[in-house]
Amino acid sequence: MKFSYSWLCDHLETDKNAVEIGDALTNIGLELESLTDYSSYSKFVVATIIDFHKHPNADRLNICTVDDGTKTYQVICGANNVKKGLKGIFAKDGMYIPGTQIYLKKGKIRGEISEGMLLSERELNLSDDHDGIIELSDNFENGTSAIDALKLNDPVFEIGITPNRGDCLGVRGIARDLSAKGIGKLKPLKYEKITKLDFESPISWNIENDNNSCEYVISRYFKDVKNKLSPEWLQKKLISLGLRPINALVDITNFITHDLGRPLHVFDADKVGKKLHMRLAKPNEKILALDNKEYTLDSNSTVIADNNNALAIAGIIGGESSGCTEDTQNVFLEVAIFEKDSVAKTGRTLGINSDARYRFERGLDKKMVIEGLNYASYLINKICGGSVSKNIDSGKLDTNERKIEYKFDYFEKVIGIKLEPKKQINILKDLKFQINQSNEKQCDLLVPSWRNDIENNIDVVEEVIRIYGYENIIESIPSPSNDEIVKINNSLINKKFKAIKKLKKSLISNGVSEIITFSFHSTKAHEILSGDVSLKISNAISDDQSFMRNSMIFNHLETADMNYKKGYKNIQIFEIGPIYNTSQSQENILSLLISSQENKNSIFKSEDLNFYSISNLVSILISSLNFDIKQFNISRSSSNIFHPGQSAELNMGKKLIARYGKVHPLIMGEFPKLKNSYVIELFFENLPIDSISRTNSSNILDSQFQFSEKDFSFIFEKEQNLFEVQRYVSGIDKNLIKNVEFFDLYESKDLGENSKSVTFRVTIQSKDKTLDEKDLEQIHNNILEKVSNKFKANIRT
Amino acid sequence: MDIKKVLNEATKQIEQCSDQQELQNVKVVYLGKKGKITELLKSLKDLSLEEKKSTGAKLNLLRTDIDKLIKNKLDSLKVKEINSKLKNEFLDISFPPPKSNLSKVHPISKTFDEVINIFASMGYSVAEGPDIETDYFNFSALNIPANHPAREMQDTFYIDDTDKDNKPYVLRTHTSPVQIRTLLNEKPPVKIIAPGRTYRCDSDSTHSPMFHQVEGLFINENTNMGDLKGTLIEFCKQFFNVQNLKVRFRPSYFPFTEPSAEMDIAYEIVNNKIHLGTGDFWLEILGCGMVNPIVLENCNVDTKIYQGFAFGMGLDRITMLKYGLTDIRSFFSGNLNWIANNGFSIGDY
Repeated sequence: MKFSYSWLCDHLETDKNAVEIGDALTNIGLELESLTDYSSYSKFVVATIIDFHKHPNADRLNICTVDDGTKTYQVICGANNVKKGLKGIFAKDGMYIPGTQIYLKKGKIRGEISEGMLLSERELNLSDDHDGIIELSDNFENGTSAIDALKLNDPVFEIGITPNRGDCLGVRGIARDLSAKGIGKLKPLKYEKITKLDFESPISWNIENDNNSCEYVISRYFKDVKNKLSPEWLQKKLISLGLRPINALVDITNFITHDLGRPLHVFDADKVGKKLHMRLAKPNEKILALDNKEYTLDSNSTVIADNNNALAIAGIIGGESSGCTEDTQNVFLEVAIFEKDSVAKTGRTLGINSDARYRFERGLDKKMVIEGLNYASYLINKICGGSVSKNIDSGKLDTNERKIEYKFDYFEKVIGIKLEPKKQINILKDLKFQINQSNEKQCDLLVPSWRNDIENNIDVVEEVIRIYGYENIIESIPSPSNDEIVKINNSLINKKFKAIKKLKKSLISNGVSEIITFSFHSTKAHEILSGDVSLKISNAISDDQSFMRNSMIFNHLETADMNYKKGYKNIQIFEIGPIYNTSQSQENILSLLISSQENKNSIFKSEDLNFYSISNLVSILISSLNFDIKQFNISRSSSNIFHPGQSAELNMGKKLIARYGKVHPLIMGEFPKLKNSYVIELFFENLPIDSISRTNSSNILDSQFQFSEKDFSFIFEKEQNLFEVQRYVSGIDKNLIKNVEFFDLYESKDLGENSKSVTFRVTIQSKDKTLDEKDLEQIHNNILEKVSNKFKANIRT
Repeated sequence: MDIKKVLNEATKQIEQCSDQQELQNVKVVYLGKKGKITELLKSLKDLSLEEKKSTGAKLNLLRTDIDKLIKNKLDSLKVKEINSKLKNEFLDISFPPPKSNLSKVHPISKTFDEVINIFASMGYSVAEGPDIETDYFNFSALNIPANHPAREMQDTFYIDDTDKDNKPYVLRTHTSPVQIRTLLNEKPPVKIIAPGRTYRCDSDSTHSPMFHQVEGLFINENTNMGDLKGTLIEFCKQFFNVQNLKVRFRPSYFPFTEPSAEMDIAYEIVNNKIHLGTGDFWLEILGCGMVNPIVLENCNVDTKIYQGFAFGMGLDRITMLKYGLTDIRSFFSGNLNWIANNGFSIGDY
């Protein structure tokens, strides 16, 4: 909402300046967004060119002698309108010129000294006009400030109005709220009611009984008016809001919309029928509106219509065919009450943001209907002449105020400070609440007609503290209770965040950087990764963001691709965030991408990137959460994002814990620059979160006796799951077998198509003694025998 | 028998040895079974008892001296050999290493962590809710009915799928639905924060279609607006690490709180850098208020007994303010240069 200082002063008698009023507005919840204030222009003054002659070294320049009332200056000026006796606006050495954003500096221009500058409108940021220097028409004294000479003493406020404050969508409402805060006194409205209403309106109303949104409508007919351009004061007001003056009749309705916050409409009475209806639109009924667009309505929208056509969309916008033009001779003024939800819904459906809709959907002061009618009648009659009909109305105007039984101690309970009932009552009275009955404990309130938003005690508390001032609330810090601390310590979500932090620490110490990408998928990614249909965003901003993602892989490959193009050859990134299986199923997972395009000829040879190094990283991540990768069942991953032969998944029971491996070549086809790319997805939310935090481990003492290591090679069936072998061997003698480490895998034609040779090293150690040859041999034989029996494996020699 | 002569001779020969083998040969010549000292000892048998005794002692001394000389020589030969071997193992230490890619966590992670810790120290547990929300949880339960103009304060993404009320799912426009989910699951007292992703269909240098918020909710019998003010000021002091923090609470409007407020913190520009906590300019930090009784009733909380406050703030925004970052879009760009410059290494996380 935009308004000027002088407009505010039409309604408010105040000695406060614009800055003080701006602060007060913010303090009462009408947040000041900007204040255009020219007060710094007082340093620029009126000055006269008392003489000038051509610059000896430049054809277009003149050397002027300028008098600012105290002194004369030599000024070099390039303007084409320089003449003797011209009064303009003068800036001296050192002054800041807002339009050019530079400080003036005394100096020579083509060899001649210049001690200042005569300004154009553009140099003062007043317009784009740079054709010449400002020529003042009035005969101002030299030395008069630019503010007075250019009438810049009218600062413009722009404030944010929250949706509950429809009452402040007119300057008068703002003045009223400021007066409650003690910033001046609300003036009575200055107009004369027209008393000579001497004929019946030839046009009448009918609110149809079809659930349309009109509660009440009242009108007057204006005969023999002369429409014309608005008077200067009215044009200036509209221009100050950024509105374009059109003609007096239209301007008056716009003015009242912004002055009283009361939208109203004028029809050219000769372009409409004699009977006007408030009714629901017919399905697909069309109307060409005043914004020159044709709208197709549905049967939920209310229209104003004559017997033939829809003339206006109720509470939103008028129709082109019935609008007032400069030729209009007879006018029908309409002031109505429309139900706010209906206006909001129609406005949103049609996508029309009009000043009327904005006000109707926030709820209006019903008492302002008659005030608006009278004020508009006065202005139409005064500016355009003619005669005015009697009122014609339809529907019921219910202006009963809401009653609230307000309890004074509720204020202290909610706000935390004591405020005597008397002080609360005074604030409420300033806000124009009517106090009917009151005692020490409570009072009966009548809510002002313009405050539709106030319905109950908490609303009243808010009003009292809003005016009393939030700065008077005394702050306190509630200290945490033991129960709360215990709750935090036991909270699964808090534990999960701790686990996430462990994962992040573990990843960055392994050279992987964290990124955050949007939760979206492009249509292409959605299709490639077979996302669920329920993940489509209906009103997506772009095709890149048209689905919710069911994986982060695509986003991460895109990120890798972008970074590759920036020169990164080894990309190691991860993200911990949501993926969506369906609209009702979301999981937070860790997704990691390693993509290496390393130059093999480089002197810096790092570890080979392959499935096994990725599997090692998975083990590290799982260990960082105090789990052991051996606890899980491993199988080949069936996910189509992975290379079928170089990917795996870990499960705990039926729960997927992780899947990882080389990205499927079909997906990599979208990213031809990225060659060797591996992904890990860790579904950490599926882990039993309670075990994640470290508990006291069973105190296994290091044995002091010598350990022994022995390598075993077996030929297994090719599909033999080695996790199972590892678990089995470890279990052969839990007391003596400390570790089973796999280190070699060999496949060849000699072994046969369906075989693989695997070597692992077993560490054997006793708690009680150094094992002798005989003990060891027994264990070795036991392992050889059991493994070959269990897995039908051949011992390789 | 000239013991001295033998010693001089041995010393000279040991000195002349250039490797371990030569030294070993010398050692055999003097100390071997058939070596010179053995021979000298054999010659003792012709001497008198007295002479035997004194010469024997001298010979033993000679043996010890030679042995020592050999050991010393051996040590120095070993050092010499290692040194000459090392000479062949010299690398080009001036070979420039590649650009280091120190991995970092995202600044938002750091903020998440700090926010959770600061509020944990005040007794707040963490709560969660889904990103894809029902219309009811995101709006209606929070006292934002259909067609309410407040819905237009937030540009909502809709999902092409409907919930049990036959309303399209929305991408949550704020973390406030977690208030409802928590209150429906837990009986008061409730004291939670809920950080997470939020979405609005808006995109320019100050808006991103996805951003992060943290919600706070504290409901018990007597929590009031003074507690709200104190809690939030304390949070900002700790988060921004400013002890004397100038703040302002302004009346505002949110359908789910009443009274509602927005909190601003003061700032000024010092040496072209934003300085928080002092000055005459204001930065909006968060929205807050006392939970509207209508919301509590929607969650079956008895408003005759319980009341409390809620707040919500943009985590990206406070991160940008704290670390002087300007473009929210870069947060989600995945640009590794940006992460390297603005992220946190393990020591700082």
